[in-house]
Amino acid sequence: MELIDLYIAGIGVILFGGVFSLPLPDRMKSLVVALFTGCGAALVVYVSINVLFLSDPVSARYVLSYPAGTVPVVVDRLAAFFSLIVSAMSFIGTLYAIGYMRPYCGTGRPVASHFFFLSVLVASMLAVTAVQNVVAFLVVWEIMSLSSFFLVAFENEREDVYHASINYLIAMHVGVLFLIGGFLAASLESGSFDFSSFPQAFGENRTLANLVFVLLFVGFGTKAGFVPFHTWLPKAHPAAPSHVSGLMSGIMIKTGIYGILRVIGLIGNPGAEIAYMVLAVSIVSGVLGVAYAIAQHNIKRLLAYHSVENIGIIGMGIGLGMLGLAYGNTPLAVLGFAGGTLHVLNHSLFKSLLFFAAGGVYQKTHLLDIEKLGGIVKFMTFTAVSFLVGSIAISGLPPFNGFVSEFFIYWGMLKGLSSSNILLVIVMVLSFSALAFIGAMALLCFTKVFGVVFLGMPRSRYHEEPAEVSLTMKAAMALQMLFIVMIGMLPQYAFRGVSVVVQALLPGESGLFDTSPYIATLGGVSGGLIAFVAVFAAVFLLRTMLLRNRSVQAYKTWDCGYQAGNARMQYTASSYAAPFLRVMIPFFSWKVRLKKPAGLFPDAAHYESHAEDRFESAVINPLVSLIERFLNAFTWIQSGSTQQYILYGLIFLIAITLWIMVV
Amino acid sequence: MPETIINIALLFALPFFFLGIINRVKSFWAGRQGPPMMQPLRDFVKLMKKGEVISTTSSFVFRIAPSATFASVIAAGLVVPLAGGRSALSFEADFILFAYLLGIGKFLTIIGALDTGSSFEGMGASREAAFSALVEPAFFMIIGSLGIISGGMTFERLFVIARSGGPAVLVLPLGFIALFIMLLAEGCRVPVDDPNTHLELTMIHEVMVLDNSGPDMGMIMYAAGMKMIIIGALIANLFIPSGIPFWASLGLFVAVEAALAVVIGTVESVMARLRMTHVPQFLLFMTAISVVILSTVVLFISGGIQ
Repeated sequence: MELIDLYIAGIGVILFGGVFSLPLPDRMKSLVVALFTGCGAALVVYVSINVLFLSDPVSARYVLSYPAGTVPVVVDRLAAFFSLIVSAMSFIGTLYAIGYMRPYCGTGRPVASHFFFLSVLVASMLAVTAVQNVVAFLVVWEIMSLSSFFLVAFENEREDVYHASINYLIAMHVGVLFLIGGFLAASLESGSFDFSSFPQAFGENRTLANLVFVLLFVGFGTKAGFVPFHTWLPKAHPAAPSHVSGLMSGIMIKTGIYGILRVIGLIGNPGAEIAYMVLAVSIVSGVLGVAYAIAQHNIKRLLAYHSVENIGIIGMGIGLGMLGLAYGNTPLAVLGFAGGTLHVLNHSLFKSLLFFAAGGVYQKTHLLDIEKLGGIVKFMTFTAVSFLVGSIAISGLPPFNGFVSEFFIYWGMLKGLSSSNILLVIVMVLSFSALAFIGAMALLCFTKVFGVVFLGMPRSRYHEEPAEVSLTMKAAMALQMLFIVMIGMLPQYAFRGVSVVVQALLPGESGLFDTSPYIATLGGVSGGLIAFVAVFAAVFLLRTMLLRNRSVQAYKTWDCGYQAGNARMQYTASSYAAPFLRVMIPFFSWKVRLKKPAGLFPDAAHYESHAEDRFESAVINPLVSLIERFLNAFTWIQSGSTQQYILYGLIFLIAITLWIMVV
Repeated sequence: MPETIINIALLFALPFFFLGIINRVKSFWAGRQGPPMMQPLRDFVKLMKKGEVISTTSSFVFRIAPSATFASVIAAGLVVPLAGGRSALSFEADFILFAYLLGIGKFLTIIGALDTGSSFEGMGASREAAFSALVEPAFFMIIGSLGIISGGMTFERLFVIARSGGPAVLVLPLGFIALFIMLLAEGCRVPVDDPNTHLELTMIHEVMVLDNSGPDMGMIMYAAGMKMIIIGALIANLFIPSGIPFWASLGLFVAVEAALAVVIGTVESVMARLRMTHVPQFLLFMTAISVVILSTVVLFISGGIQ
């Protein structure tokens, strides 16, 4: 059996798991889906690792009927890298789902369709990375969007979930419109739906290549969540069940990144203007994503905004790589693409870990509003540790994996400094500073979330004492933490891993760059990180030894002499974020509702403030209402009267008959 | 190798002298006799001998945060070039690891403070996080600008060539001002923060460690002093010429650090802490200077300034 057949078989196994789970009792479904996804994922991982490190790309061609024609299924290094992430993370996600979905089983919820569409989503994501024919690609892309729509709409009796899922569905279809446009423009020029026919067409017509890139960037960027196409993310993620949020944020939005990298590969070298555009959009996404996240109080909404931030960081890496290609600066290209692709992997690890931990808190407390939480660490220590590891990693801090990919990106920018092109040099220093700003804001945001949710005392009465999450959920989180620490401590191996993908992205000779100088430096980084951990271990051991035979008293927190402090007097998330948000005020539209105390005997006063996404209120909403007004002109078509609809059918039949007779 | 050992010894020894000098300078300006030079060391030893009182609200985070912060500052000290412009651990782009090690220290201090559930400590944590978000971009812009002229990608090379390059006349004094602001902000000194204040509402760093005691408190103090030495080392490296013998460089290094302590003590004696709402403006001044540094460097390499 050839590798490509194993790959297809893997997708088949995953899909079969979904179908097979349908008639089973609710409690069995999650186990079956996890089992089949695990087996399918193992096959896909085997093929992907083979393709990445041992063999050449593998491919097969399937002849389908009109309009697709011959569909090439190719697992090259780029596809293998993304398949590896998708399959491994999906397995971890289904493992988590076993515990997470248990309370929903037997409650009359659509658990059956949930697990079916979960399998379909995983299978379609794997198909997206491998299919290289325009029509087939758009079909599997659409299946991916639709299956995730059904997953988001799991609790559709809740009004917010209903609206969020419809919003998601619309955003995806606006995005796919750009994809269709871009791909059709390319196909018309090359005369074929096959991706492999594009490079030649792009080579002959640069204007077309640029146009196609911009169209596809908008289309894929909508999936990935670049600003200003990000508005669906903060709605859809809080609505979806946590493992679905984890899978969507961790891997599904990365198919957008896959698409962008695939297009770069097809175009070869998109040129400096396009690269600057990608970099600019990414920096804006990174800065605004985290700035908006700081203002959020719903933990999953906050995490969703962080996806926008991290997509921005990934995009910065890709933009740097493209600049490296455009200016012929190989180190810049290598480190940019390496940082971008590694951050794809890293983000899928720590973001799904954060969603899983947040999901655990939600499962036990039924709360997502961080202002009502607090003190969870004492009830759910494992979940708290998971969230802490994820928080440090997503803030890009050592010794975890987020630091490594950001280090690559910083380092790439430094490589761009030696250029003789003044514009490039200035842009590099500014992006250098911007990435530092993003990192510092992420630190603020995650100290806020972790501190408010897990530390201190509960800010409201929980309906029951939160207990630790189930074993499978813990196992899923432990697996992710393992990878986070490994990549974080051993960056040289991480670089070796992504360098094979980077080699495939660089055209011609430059793809054969020497990895040894990079690996030598990363050995130094690794040394620094190991030194940090070793010193920490030594210091902590010393502290423990010192305190062994001494009095360690437990006493209440210092309250400045005031003896009646209670949990409600703790610092809140809003007050924590306020000093910084005050500096960032131009980026938000502030909504304040104030009812002042008045008179000699004032009754209840009220103050409420919301920081809203300026893009949503100033760009997206006016645009949507404009479109709505235009479309409202056609509402008479849908009158609700059956007779009229029959008339439409008749008119259509007559039109078809006429067309056949005339043409 | 002996140079590395001397440098590591400096890293561990200088913080006590640095704090001692600041205290003596302050007492000089106040007309007091002041504590002995070695008082910070005595305090440290005393704290290390004590037991601890730990808040009932707190969790494991509170217990590991001081040790981890201390470790992160030590690790950052291994990367930063000290006497002779040598660092114990040097590789390309090492200053990024430096900045991020200080970052993880800050992260842990903040969550350690939040772990007590005290609103005072929450307030300090919030300020610390907000102010460091304003310092970070400026620091990276300065590093990036120095990187343009030096082309050298290690901390050591960064300063060597920044000193000898053409725009040094402008870049060195501006770099000094910007890094000095960073030293005041990161070291929690006046006018950003007042280490001697007795009102919790006006503190930043001190209020975050209200509940720490014993060895943990000792490590926090030690780490704070070491952090000032490390950032002081960046300033020292701007001025100490390379190519001189190691012992001369060592002497100059210690002299610059001592001078910085004198300046900090003087600043602390002659001015008051800024109003909390004015601190961001003071810190954004550092950003403004770093933009000027960047422009100077860019003008220089594009031939605008000869």
